[in-house]
Amino acid sequence: MGKITIFAGGFGSGKSEIALNQALKLARSESDIFLADLDMVNPYFVSRQLKSVIEEAGIRLLAPEGELSFSDVPAMPRQILGIIKQDNHMIIDVAGDDVGCLALGYLRQYIIARSGYEFLLVLNPYRPFSQDLPSVRLLIEQLQRAAGLRFTGIVSNPNLMVATTADTILSGHELVRTFSLAVGLPICCLTVEKHFYTSLYPLYGALLEAIELYLKPNWM
Amino acid sequence: MDRVLMKGNEALAEGALLAGCVAFFGYPITPSSEIAEYMARKLPLQSGTFVQAESELAAINMVYGGASTGARVMTASSGPGISLKSEGISFIAEAELPCLIVNISRGGPGLGGIQPAQSDYFQATRGGGHGDFHTLVLAPSSVQEMLDFAITGYDLADQYRIPVMIMAEGTLGQMMEPVTVRPKVTEFVDKPWSIQGCKGRKPNIVNTLHLDPDFLEYRNKVLAEKYELIKARETRAESFMVEDADLVVVAFGLMSRIVKKAIIDVRSQGYRVGLIRPITLWPFPAEVISQAAGHAKLFLSIEISMGQMIDDVRLAVNGRTPVDFYGRIGIIPSPEEIAQEIVARAQKEGLR
Repeated sequence: MGKITIFAGGFGSGKSEIALNQALKLARSESDIFLADLDMVNPYFVSRQLKSVIEEAGIRLLAPEGELSFSDVPAMPRQILGIIKQDNHMIIDVAGDDVGCLALGYLRQYIIARSGYEFLLVLNPYRPFSQDLPSVRLLIEQLQRAAGLRFTGIVSNPNLMVATTADTILSGHELVRTFSLAVGLPICCLTVEKHFYTSLYPLYGALLEAIELYLKPNWM
Repeated sequence: MDRVLMKGNEALAEGALLAGCVAFFGYPITPSSEIAEYMARKLPLQSGTFVQAESELAAINMVYGGASTGARVMTASSGPGISLKSEGISFIAEAELPCLIVNISRGGPGLGGIQPAQSDYFQATRGGGHGDFHTLVLAPSSVQEMLDFAITGYDLADQYRIPVMIMAEGTLGQMMEPVTVRPKVTEFVDKPWSIQGCKGRKPNIVNTLHLDPDFLEYRNKVLAEKYELIKARETRAESFMVEDADLVVVAFGLMSRIVKKAIIDVRSQGYRVGLIRPITLWPFPAEVISQAAGHAKLFLSIEISMGQMIDDVRLAVNGRTPVDFYGRIGIIPSPEEIAQEIVARAQKEGLR
């Protein structure tokens, strides 16, 4: 059975952008990629907005469909139970906070049945409720309880969007490192916008993952 | 950390807390719910009160009660919820109670959708409820302004004893931008009218029932005079490249930012275009628009509605210049789309 990679975290931590980037990257070398957009909290800034980009890359999108794609109701994509039992690589993007992770509770038994899954906590230490260790511990506890799964790693995503500088990344990632050590979860990558990649590579090497912001409007 | 990455809704809630808000009463609705969620997490830690009421009607009446004590209180909703709160807002306006009411707008009418809109402009600027009253309405255009205007809103509310509404498109509530969190700077004014116990003095009474017609008329005159004072002192607008503009766009909120981008683009193509952005939707900056009508050959009201603010633009222009309209609903048009609309009109009018 193929892998499942799940991106979870607080509201606005960067899950959807990272899930989109991850899916598009995998699609360059693998077939049978599914991206499940399970953000049912509200329809703003969700990965299904990029439906055409996703499908052109050969990725199959599982998301609330039709009118429900613009809704805020628990509309689980109906094919997901069939597809999650098959051999493929599925990337799951859930909504923020514990309410977002509730969707995973429904899929938990199928996720566990796969040979291996990655349940990743996306952390941006510049977001409210993610800036100190007690808040991060609380977040982890709430998300794990809602999902019925234990995290396997952290995606460090320190940024202030348009105002991000190399310093923002350096000091933000340092903070994420202290969280990682304290909670005993490894950092599996440090995500930065493409234009920071070359200058930061000597410092972080293969930990660094360049991402493109697909959901950011062009007027920002 | 001096800068935080916040959603507009979170920034607004944080601004209210910085301004000394001690109680939030609300009922959740997309796309405003993060304001309630933020307050639910933060207020109890600051000895404040968060109540998820059983309905919007209950919530606004809790605001009515809370504001009567002189405490800084608030509620937040979206269009359908503001409609339900309209009766209470009318009561609060007549009782002259300061409070903050937030509308993170979505498209209507009816239940409409969850996508962004500005189509509650009439509701916001014409009072929304019954009787001769206004709320003072502020329209932020960035996440930073969501925080700043919450603080300004409370100051204005206290100064004029008026309910202040902040109206922002759903997208502004949901999008994230870096925010500089300001220290608490609010000065509290004395509230001798408030109900906080009356030992040793005559009781203060909060009442909006005035059966005596003379007294009713007197009360309406008191409010009308106050509104004139607010119009004279607190009307706010931002002008962008208006001085030499042949075509003046009027747009507010997040929409105004997109128009600015479009103007920079069309200026580079040689069109003299400017923007007037009402910051207070009520009072409406009629004077600034009237002045621009002296040299502008065309006004263009751009709204995320089917055309509401255009009425105020027309009144301000008073027939001296034609006023055109472009609008969408549920969609924030791109700068490119706006630039096209501007250029099409400028070409038609021979403006270059």
